[in-house]
Amino acid sequence: MDMFLQSLAQGLLIGSTYGLISLGMGLTYSVSGVINFAHGDLLSLGMFLALACFTAFGLDPYISVFITFPVMVAFGALVYRFLIRPLVGSHVLMVIQLTLGLTFIVQNGLLMTFGGMSHRVPSKIEADLILLGDSVVLRSALAVAFAVSVALAGLLYFVLTRTDTGRSIRAVHQNAKAAALMGISVDRVRTLTFALGVGLLAIAAVLLTPGTPLHPSQGLRYTVISLMVMVLGGMTNFAGILLGGLLFGIAEAFGTVYVSGTSGMIVPYAMFILVLLLRPEGLLKRRAS
Amino acid sequence: MKPEFFTLLRSPAIWLVLAFAATMPLWLPPYYLGIGVLTLIYIAMALSWNIVGGLGGQISLAHSLFLGVGAVFTSALLLKFGINMWVGMLISAALAAIMGVGIAWVDFRFKLGHLSFALITLAFAEIGELVVLGWDFLGGASGLYLPSDKGDLLAFQFGGAKGYFWLALVIAAGCFLVNFAIINSPLGYYLRAIRDNENAAQAVGVALLRNKAIAMAISAALTAIIGTAYARYVAFVDPYLFASPAVVIEVVLIATIGGLGTPFGPMVAALLLVPFGELIRGNFGGVAPGLHYLVYGVLIVVVILSMPRGLVPRIMDVMARRRAS
Repeated sequence: MDMFLQSLAQGLLIGSTYGLISLGMGLTYSVSGVINFAHGDLLSLGMFLALACFTAFGLDPYISVFITFPVMVAFGALVYRFLIRPLVGSHVLMVIQLTLGLTFIVQNGLLMTFGGMSHRVPSKIEADLILLGDSVVLRSALAVAFAVSVALAGLLYFVLTRTDTGRSIRAVHQNAKAAALMGISVDRVRTLTFALGVGLLAIAAVLLTPGTPLHPSQGLRYTVISLMVMVLGGMTNFAGILLGGLLFGIAEAFGTVYVSGTSGMIVPYAMFILVLLLRPEGLLKRRAS
Repeated sequence: MKPEFFTLLRSPAIWLVLAFAATMPLWLPPYYLGIGVLTLIYIAMALSWNIVGGLGGQISLAHSLFLGVGAVFTSALLLKFGINMWVGMLISAALAAIMGVGIAWVDFRFKLGHLSFALITLAFAEIGELVVLGWDFLGGASGLYLPSDKGDLLAFQFGGAKGYFWLALVIAAGCFLVNFAIINSPLGYYLRAIRDNENAAQAVGVALLRNKAIAMAISAALTAIIGTAYARYVAFVDPYLFASPAVVIEVVLIATIGGLGTPFGPMVAALLLVPFGELIRGNFGGVAPGLHYLVYGVLIVVVILSMPRGLVPRIMDVMARRRAS
């Protein structure tokens, strides 16, 4: 039972961050119809930026995020304006291929800059532990990750429902043509959401960094995770995506604890296929929100 | 089969190119011969992927499963059960074809669309890699070592690089022929109709599942055969090479740069890019590992933004316009 609670807590905490990562992807998809196959590699880029800030200035990742966030937002805006925008409206395969090319650029750019060894970004709170009750021990970093992810998801919800920017994002999500007719600059909204989605990755990167070895080739796995979480959540349902992230995190934690070795890593994928077969439209049925 | 297919078979240019390629092992120095084998293997992979990805317009990233079946499963059959590699290759090709049909069924049953198809096949590919890494029968993370090559043809051993060059040449030519045959057969027309507008194709009576499944099965079986040959050539079955989706993504990029849909695009792109990449790796690999992949990445971005249909269709357009004026 202890082990059960322990892995459940562990899975929930890491799953919240998966949800956050996929949220950026889902946001972009719902507004521009673009799936970014370089999503995981951009996350990886965020992690390596944190590493660079540490090696150059000795900054703790929790502090350097204030530098990496605006850098990633700007980078996202540039990528959207110069690479992705020219393809909006053309065949969906082109964007897939373009972002696959982007994964090669980011991944190998990182490999050339940082070399092929595994890196680690140390942080002050890395070794801190929190005791929950008398049986569950958690790393503080994961608790921080959970708190920040939930807070950001809440903030995002607030922005989407209560501000004009959020309303224009939802308007483009529902019907881009009608939104344009209402005087919303669709292009600006799309650039903004893409940049924001990439910026979220800078934050998620910091949340995942403590205790995780970094390697330039890790990006693809994160892309796959966020794609699966997004499909679990029903592609454009933001609450569903968060739920999908939690579920994925829990499946991963249970898989590692209860199934030995690498086979345990298959558990979340198996769950994904099962959900896909039973509920192809995603966990929460898509409402016309 | 349309007459174009037989015109091609009768055209002397094709046979001259093939005959010239066949003499290459006799005069190429070993280092360049090695690059030649690799180039032919990539041409074959790009061509067999083109059947699904180019003609059918489905970006399948699950082809690493088929490559892995051909390489890893065949080797495991040889090492664990002593099954001859020729037989193993056929078993693997059949298994890959069945898996391909399964994926086509999932695609059809859940009406995946282009986007979901790409991401779900990527998830399948990831699962495949994890299965290989976690299962000792398939060599796990440390891979499988094939017995040393004594040039025994009956045991699927082709001696040195020379033998494998000819083997890869035969496979690549075969893949080209299959591509060309499909393009000029009803299946090719159905596939293109499905690619351009699935609903319209279905409305005029094109059987979606049947045609997609056939294309996937052919493509999968060819990829598995290439996997066996590639594995036997390098003699070490590295799970991170044969079971990881990375190689397939590379093949997809190469095929796209060349231009999908005709057999010439993927072939020309592989012919240019693989030797180019290998030369960069040979000369700069020590100082800048990954430089050749970076160049691939930049090339694909440039090609997609400036000539969306790919290199070869663009060149053909320019040539046709010049001839017309």
